[in-house]
Amino acid sequence: MPKCTINGKAIEVKPGTTVIQAFKAAGVEIAHYCWHPGLSVAGVCRLCMVQIEGQAKLQIGCNTLVTEGMVVNNTSEPVKEAVKWGLDFHLINHPLDCPICDQAGECGLQDQYVHFGKYDPEMAMPKQKKHKVVDLGPTIVLDTERCILCSRCVRFTDEVSKTNELGIFNRGDRSEIGTVENKPLDNNYSLNTVDICPVGALTSKDFRFRQRVWYLKEAASVCTGCSTGCNVNVYYNEEGAWRVKPVQNEKVNGYWMCDKGRDIYKFVNKEARLQTAKVGSKDQWRLLEGGQAAKDVGDSLRQVAKTEGADKIALVVTGQYTNEEYDSLLDFFNGTLAVKNVYHWVNNPEDMTGFDGILFRGDRNPNTAGLKARLEKRGLKSDWLDLEKKIKAGAYKYVVVAGPENNSVFPDLESKAKMMSAAPHLVWLTAAKSEAVDSATTATYQIPLKTFIEKDGTYTNHVGLEQKVKRGTTIVAGALTLSEAVSLMSGEELDFSLRPKPLTNLKTNFFTAKRGEL
Amino acid sequence: MEVKLLTEHYGKAEFQSLEGYKKIGDGYETLKKALKMQPKEIIELVKASGLRGRGGAGFPTGMKWSFLPENGEPRYLLCNADEGEPGTFKDRMMMERAPHQLIEGMIISGFAVQSKKSYIYIRGEYKDSLRIVEKAIREAYDAGFLGKNILGSNFTHDMDVYSGAGAYICGEETGMISSLEGQKGQPKLKPPFPALKGYLGKPTIVNNVETLAAVKYIVRDGAQAYRKNGTEKSAGTKLFSVSGNVMKPGNYEVPLGYPLKDLIFNLCGGLKPGRKLKAVIPGGSSAPVLTEPEAMRATMDYECLAQMGSMLGSGAVIVIDDSNCMVDLLNVTMHFYHHESCGQCTPCREGTGWLHKTVASIASGHGRLQDIQLLDRISKNMMGRTICALSDAAAMPAISFVNKFREEFEFFVREGRSKVKGEGFRHAQMHH
Repeated sequence: MPKCTINGKAIEVKPGTTVIQAFKAAGVEIAHYCWHPGLSVAGVCRLCMVQIEGQAKLQIGCNTLVTEGMVVNNTSEPVKEAVKWGLDFHLINHPLDCPICDQAGECGLQDQYVHFGKYDPEMAMPKQKKHKVVDLGPTIVLDTERCILCSRCVRFTDEVSKTNELGIFNRGDRSEIGTVENKPLDNNYSLNTVDICPVGALTSKDFRFRQRVWYLKEAASVCTGCSTGCNVNVYYNEEGAWRVKPVQNEKVNGYWMCDKGRDIYKFVNKEARLQTAKVGSKDQWRLLEGGQAAKDVGDSLRQVAKTEGADKIALVVTGQYTNEEYDSLLDFFNGTLAVKNVYHWVNNPEDMTGFDGILFRGDRNPNTAGLKARLEKRGLKSDWLDLEKKIKAGAYKYVVVAGPENNSVFPDLESKAKMMSAAPHLVWLTAAKSEAVDSATTATYQIPLKTFIEKDGTYTNHVGLEQKVKRGTTIVAGALTLSEAVSLMSGEELDFSLRPKPLTNLKTNFFTAKRGEL
Repeated sequence: MEVKLLTEHYGKAEFQSLEGYKKIGDGYETLKKALKMQPKEIIELVKASGLRGRGGAGFPTGMKWSFLPENGEPRYLLCNADEGEPGTFKDRMMMERAPHQLIEGMIISGFAVQSKKSYIYIRGEYKDSLRIVEKAIREAYDAGFLGKNILGSNFTHDMDVYSGAGAYICGEETGMISSLEGQKGQPKLKPPFPALKGYLGKPTIVNNVETLAAVKYIVRDGAQAYRKNGTEKSAGTKLFSVSGNVMKPGNYEVPLGYPLKDLIFNLCGGLKPGRKLKAVIPGGSSAPVLTEPEAMRATMDYECLAQMGSMLGSGAVIVIDDSNCMVDLLNVTMHFYHHESCGQCTPCREGTGWLHKTVASIASGHGRLQDIQLLDRISKNMMGRTICALSDAAAMPAISFVNKFREEFEFFVREGRSKVKGEGFRHAQMHH
């Protein structure tokens, strides 16, 4: 284990550690653009300059290995001067259109210039003109003038997605990132290039011009888009969630996440949500408060279990809830009410074991593993095919469904909802509003639930790793967690006085209004 | 006085063919001698000869060879014939007049480093060189000097040519390797150095045409005989491509250490009548320029020129008389480096353009006084900051031009016209 001294701080690192990694390990700031821990070393931005004792020339930290006893700093005058000029070289042809640039506020050029900049620009010549608004593919737009040619995106498509769509064309200061004809940047990991772009060159079509990033807060969470459980930050403000970005976790997702996973912010926003409870059927729905609806349902269920027997009740569960929610759900239905007919609704049975070799899995539920383990533990193994037969035969009076939080990953939603609405009473617990349930023909309760960003809990991913999610914000104030709904059903009272009230008098952002349908 | 060791038979057309090479020269006799030696012996011999790389960097050849790992991995020998340094035209002549001399030198070198495969990477514009070298390789194969078990020995060696596409940067050894691998011609990050991980990730030696050709004579005559020419640290002869304002421009082979003054005024017939020497670029466009007094004192060897703050480089001597405007010359030079920067490293990609635009604005009469100092500052911050030496190659002429001929730059800024070319001279507007 080589020992080295970083800016006077002695640390010990693993053999094979580079100087820039040692700086990061020592918690010392070091300027850099092209280096990224998840990609190969390019050594082209020339900003991670360091002075190594005993060496005349400055070295780049990213391509220099730490050796035993190395004494290295990035605070000497020559280093500071080199970094200042290095930043100036990056900026002389950069448009400086920060006021209209999406990256402003989280831009590598802005951030590092504040720390290491020269502050007296001397460039008096006309800037290079390059292509603006280059459409790279379905997800991304490129501004080649803003690009600093760090080559991170090119290396990403070479090394991580292995799709090789991007390249650097032309030479010198005419160089531009681009794609070849008829091969757009179109893969399920394309938006990672936007994340790793240190400037505003690559922008996401889904997010650009929608929000200024300094108006957004972030909440650490876990992606619910599939059973991998990538660690993410969800960016939100009082109007709702706006985007999702991956957070590094070596055990799960490294530095990346897939494009499909990035859509998970869409179903948490109000437009996609069931906002109040509804009772009735296709012909007429009556709105009522969620808690009241849960209480009413609970009263009926307990009555049915007592008088007609628990066999008259069927519980249908999706893999979309937290372990804590499953526990309270099963405690009440299986424990208190003694319901044995618990069905696991698998949304895409033919593709449940699918895997793209990188991160994305065919099981598009965050917690199939957690649900399965709990059903197994209680010995609940009702056959899904039985459900339809029994509903048709009139065996069930009540079908209670802990439905999908994200309707878009349930292609069979409409047919299943129709099938289940053949029961005399249907109770649909869900975060999402859905036309399929709204057209139920039987006596139905719809109870609004919260989404992953609005609750605490644990998901178990495909390898059995339990990951916590924490409440970040509340988007639908009247929604309940599944556990809360179950508590109310079981006759307990909940104190709602501490809950956030729905925001009133919310000024609508111009850009939000322009956003249109989700 | 010229010493024609490599160029002895360059005047005779038949020297180009194998037949002539055998008749006039000594054929492939040296190869026969080499194949009877131990490879290590040859490396030691080259070390003892003091031969230094003739492509520009002047790195000791024998030492470069001994960096190869002894792990039994296949290794490659690459001949750098991507002669792109402005002012240099010696490799072209060597390939076109004496292709077999190069091929023989390469087979011997290939044997010394135990490489089974070599490539000659020829500059894209050199169509004639390509044709002539290809033909010579065919002749060498037919005569059994290339291929399996050369001359009955157990040494097997194959040779091929590869045509570049005209990028200056492919003359940089790792840029050349990238290009040869079929990638964009961009230098690779070092370490690892090519001797450990080069072409296709295998140990690779890259040598200049002149270096490889010289190996033949070192093996033929011995290290001591080779050392008879030149100085202690700059052994042997060297080809100098003299261009510019001399009466007889051309390639001249002289011993290293030869006075620059004699090269210009004796061998090249001096300047045009009535002209005075103003400056000399001694080693290709990237070498810092020498003023007239410096040029009069200089000897053409690695150490003297280094001591004067310049370098021997590829041996391209560009002679500048007093009819030339230094601002103009720097403008042309900066245009070249701006055009040729591969664009990988930010200081070079942006710096070469910045230098060019700044000097072009001076040369079009729109400069500011602070631009002169700025040229110097930009250049100093480009030096030593990039993967390869192109950034330095652009910075060094800029620094030397503005510091040694500052009054010409200042005149241009103040008066809006060239000090040399007079009132009536209209300058071209800025490029781009």
